[in-house]
Amino acid sequence: MPDPVLTIRSLSVTFVGPGGIVPAVRGVDLEVHENEVVGIVGESGSGKSVTALAVAGLLPPSARVTGSIVLAGREVVGAPREALRLMRGQDIGVIFQDPTTTLNPLMPVGSQVVEGELAHGRLRVDEAWPRAVELLREVEIADPAGRAAQYPHQFSGGMRQRAVIAMAMAGRPKLIVADEPTTALDVTVQAQVLALLARRQAATGAAAILISHDLGLVAEVAHRVAVMYGGRIVETGSAHDIFKRPRHPYTAALLKSAPRIEAAEGRLDPIPGQPPTPTDLPAGCSFHPRCAIGAHRPRCRAEEPPFRSVAAHGVACHFAEEVAAPATIDAPAAARRPSVGQGEALLEVEGLKIHFPIKAGLLRRVIRTVRAVDGVSLRIAPGETLGLVGESGCGKTTTGRAIMGLIPVTGGSIRFRGRAIENAGRDVLREARREMQYVFQDPYSSLNPMLAVGDAVAEPLRIHGCYDEMGGARWIARLFEMVGLSPSVAHRQPREFSGGQKQRIGIARALALKPRLLILDEPVASLDVSIQAQIVNLLQDLQRELGLAYLFIAHDLSVVKHMSDRVAVMYLGRIVEQSDKATLYASPLHPYTQALLSAVPAPDPSGRRRRIVLAGEIPNPASPPSGCHFHPRCFRAGPRCAVEPPTFEPQPGSPTLRACHFAGPLEATRGAAGAAS
Amino acid sequence: MSALGSAAEIGKRIVVRKTAALSLAYLVAVALAAAFATTVGFDPLSQNLARMLEGPSRDYLFGTDELGRDILARVVYGARTSLITAAGAVTLAASVGVPMGLVAGFFGGWRDAVLMRIVDLKLALPSILLALALIAVLGRSQVAALTAVGLTGVPTFARVARAQVLSLRRRDFVTAVEAFGASSPYLMFRTILPNSWSPILTQMVVLSSVAILLEASLAFLGVGIPPPTPSWGEMLRTGKEYLYESPTYAILPGLMLTLTILSFDTLGRALSAVLEGREDAPVRRGAGPA
Amino acid sequence: MIGYVARRLMQLLPVLLTASALIFGMMYAVPGGPVGVLVGENATPEQIEKVTKEFGLDRPVLVQYADWLGRAMTGDLGHSLHSREPVAKLIGERLPATIQLALTATVIGLLLGVPLAVASALTQGSWFDRGLSGWSALALGVPTFWVGILLILLFAVQLRLLPAASGYVPFWDSPWQMLRNTILPASTLGLYVSGIFARFLRGSLIAELNADYVRTARSKGLVESAIVVRHVMRNALLPFVTIVGIMLAGFIGGAVVTEAVFTYPGMGRLVIQAIGSRDYPLIQGCILVILVGYMLINLAVDVLYVYIDPRIDYG
Repeated sequence: MPDPVLTIRSLSVTFVGPGGIVPAVRGVDLEVHENEVVGIVGESGSGKSVTALAVAGLLPPSARVTGSIVLAGREVVGAPREALRLMRGQDIGVIFQDPTTTLNPLMPVGSQVVEGELAHGRLRVDEAWPRAVELLREVEIADPAGRAAQYPHQFSGGMRQRAVIAMAMAGRPKLIVADEPTTALDVTVQAQVLALLARRQAATGAAAILISHDLGLVAEVAHRVAVMYGGRIVETGSAHDIFKRPRHPYTAALLKSAPRIEAAEGRLDPIPGQPPTPTDLPAGCSFHPRCAIGAHRPRCRAEEPPFRSVAAHGVACHFAEEVAAPATIDAPAAARRPSVGQGEALLEVEGLKIHFPIKAGLLRRVIRTVRAVDGVSLRIAPGETLGLVGESGCGKTTTGRAIMGLIPVTGGSIRFRGRAIENAGRDVLREARREMQYVFQDPYSSLNPMLAVGDAVAEPLRIHGCYDEMGGARWIARLFEMVGLSPSVAHRQPREFSGGQKQRIGIARALALKPRLLILDEPVASLDVSIQAQIVNLLQDLQRELGLAYLFIAHDLSVVKHMSDRVAVMYLGRIVEQSDKATLYASPLHPYTQALLSAVPAPDPSGRRRRIVLAGEIPNPASPPSGCHFHPRCFRAGPRCAVEPPTFEPQPGSPTLRACHFAGPLEATRGAAGAAS
Repeated sequence: MSALGSAAEIGKRIVVRKTAALSLAYLVAVALAAAFATTVGFDPLSQNLARMLEGPSRDYLFGTDELGRDILARVVYGARTSLITAAGAVTLAASVGVPMGLVAGFFGGWRDAVLMRIVDLKLALPSILLALALIAVLGRSQVAALTAVGLTGVPTFARVARAQVLSLRRRDFVTAVEAFGASSPYLMFRTILPNSWSPILTQMVVLSSVAILLEASLAFLGVGIPPPTPSWGEMLRTGKEYLYESPTYAILPGLMLTLTILSFDTLGRALSAVLEGREDAPVRRGAGPA
Repeated sequence: MIGYVARRLMQLLPVLLTASALIFGMMYAVPGGPVGVLVGENATPEQIEKVTKEFGLDRPVLVQYADWLGRAMTGDLGHSLHSREPVAKLIGERLPATIQLALTATVIGLLLGVPLAVASALTQGSWFDRGLSGWSALALGVPTFWVGILLILLFAVQLRLLPAASGYVPFWDSPWQMLRNTILPASTLGLYVSGIFARFLRGSLIAELNADYVRTARSKGLVESAIVVRHVMRNALLPFVTIVGIMLAGFIGGAVVTEAVFTYPGMGRLVIQAIGSRDYPLIQGCILVILVGYMLINLAVDVLYVYIDPRIDYG
């Protein structure tokens, strides 16, 4: 076997700052070979990005690096600046997370793409432009000659990331480091960019490190996987082995805690507690406080486990042999809540339209209208969960906020318990808001920083003047218990809590008025994977105990499947398909739903499924395509789709409602559709 | 963490900055001197025509002016004028400007349009000119100086409050309170205002230095508080006439004035760094009279 | 492009209208009203009647305003009460002096501020950087009139190198005399403004140095100096242009105090004289001209952006 392209030996990185010494990476060993993709998985603060920056020699001056990083035969640690500079862009190319900020806004994209090669003297100035066009063509950007002269703001998010890939790979580096390369992108665009990255890597034969918090994504493309926790690699192995037979308790727990799209429903198995911060690492094995095996063993508390070999894996655990094989995925479904969705509707939305005028000029004339929501109908019965999924900008959050009465409605009706509440007066809304509450995505911004959390939970009661009537401090204490927090924390300030705890407080506050409907707007999207499961379970328990109805708004199809009874899929202001969960996930009828479902990465490398990679990106809602909004990206569209918007109606012989002229099962059309790959 | 607890904590974090601690000490000393000037026996008005325009000496630490008055006594009384004008002006500016900005930012529409036109105007006219125009209308008196300086600060506070409303309204915790069915006054004064105190307080300190400078400038131009009330600007104005005879006459009051302004500036920067995590205070956009 | 400028000019109208209404309204806020202003406090009823007739003060206020505005737009700003000369002529004599001083001061400010900002941003946290932030705090905080007095004490009283009072000498008449007369007031203003320039530019340079695209540029293997010149500088200078424009515009009417220290014959002195003699037509004219000047400079800055910032399209 030839020498590895990258060899990392006992790498440690500490940051020296005003707050003291922060150990971010603590002894990492890793090898990456030519033609190999190694995935590094970990939660926030696990040290995965710092490792990547160390490899590229891009750490800030406050970082102290020890150990050894050998890249293409040369030592990186302690190398002189000039040597590092020559290495970058030549031996190593880096792809960063957020394509909106990684490009210089004031320089044409083409110039930025070839800048590295020019700096290394591998390109003459007169060759630069044709080379830029060629590089953009390689990353499949349409009209590369025209695009090269444009500035980043004229590119869409996916195109910017393509340009960044072109830039990173321009010098044919031996190693590509991709740090969360698709996290900032929408699901369907993610699939495109990931596929492109894989193709370019295979074409150049480069070694690659893919860093991600997303197990599914890594399973999809990596050959080998390293799992990081608390600044160390806790497990390495082939992608197949890691996902089929994890040997470290953390990996096993992580796999069990994430909802899976192919799995049947059932309770998630969350990891208790929080991921540690580098400033505050537990003694001994840093995972032991959260570990099912080691939590109470003195050895785990006292002694940091060495990295050792167990059945072709590398594992850092004293008791790796005790980690059980994960239960088979299709475990019997847990008992479902009975008779849900029966009876009178709690919430009925008919033909909801929300248009935002864009005004310009001196006279503030309306020059365009953003049709954020353009005819949405849905219905929620008491005690049931309707999942509303879609990519960013599809109007799902706007729909939720309009139901809550936070955004004026342009057209259509919203009825809550039979009473019309769209654009209603303050009194009607006030009454409806007692029974309908909202939980926000970002727990950091949804709590008033000036209010103790107990007062925050009591605030809705005080506003409605029913604090004493509802039981005062006793009821507040009870609410804290209901969301799994001790009532004794009520006097603390929000900043003393972690993200997951804040989300619990947000839920307690939403429950204060004893509502019948909760609008959950991406309630777990900004939480770490291991925390997501805790909140999902809490929401399910509360629903069962209190008979709550949920409108669950999310972009993550796996979580939606786990939570919902019925699911509606939105695209550009309209619902394209709606059905009960089982039907929708088993046999989607709308091409968009089909593409969306196929794009979900699943942590199961053996089941690499066929993906439908959609062309293009979501159009601007201010100028949506004619006819069916989806037709320019659709693999099934015909001439009719461009002129005639499809009606939202039942599919014959199916419980599904859909808006498509050519709705039907995927298999029936696959032969005809060239876009499926 | 109670409001008092946090005040003590913020105080600690400011005082650990050496320059800020020094500034605070200087300002406290000046304020004490000004407050107890009469008790200590400073007399800014008695003339000693035998000893005019003298330099610093044992009898007169800062020397004497063209009428033989004690410059040190006049400087101390000048501090009183300066600090009172500044405090009054800043209070006036904040109590008018903050509600204006809150209402304009919260309701938008014509209220916002009117406010923004006024802010534009204030940006277009240097404060000194605005203050001069106001003096031209109000006449020359202590109240006029205070009002003129205060009114020029109103748009600054209105803008700060408005910016706070606009940024806080997008935050989820404000939307959450709105979703509970809270009234507009509740949102404005119970939710948004308490979360805006740090930029407003910072602005009050920064504006204190602007107000002192502005008051001194008006006095220097001969349209400030009328004599014989001692004022630093007025002393510099006369001192400048006797540069050849007694250079210290203009230097020493100017030094006191400068130190006071610098102290407020330093304190403002420290506050802004501690409260808002910004190391550089906002540039006073052309606010200082030049 | 012409359309863009026209649109921007249109946007200035509301501010200008508000301002002119306020300026016009000044006359009515004064004790005694416009008649009192014109005839003084001890006027006979005959005098009052004559003036009221002559200036049409018996017409409705809105008509008077429209008339005043209409004449102002054609350049007729009325006559000075004090010297009886046309206000436009008096302003015309002072405006070039002020513009010359403002430009010189801005150039001095840039020559001092920009290199200091760049040097300290690149050596962030060093003693030089800390020194600069102390220095810029001084430049900002020390009152210009005190700086002016100190400069006069040093260069005129002690060294006897330069005149204590500065006159206006146009540059093309005698560059040497112009420099001798302008250097002290211009340095006073330049020092002050260099503090603002240095602090602002340092801040935006540091923000840009920490931007993601700089990390990208490093990851491509660019030389550090190329990163600063090609990437950081342009992004940092972009917002800086606005600050330079605002300061330059501020000097048109805002150098009142400095002009007073050096008895420099600019707009600021004119305003002070006008206020001192309660010469209301002259006050109104000065404020109006200063306002328009300020707006035109800001418009010029906005137009400049269309050329230097690709993200702005003037369509």
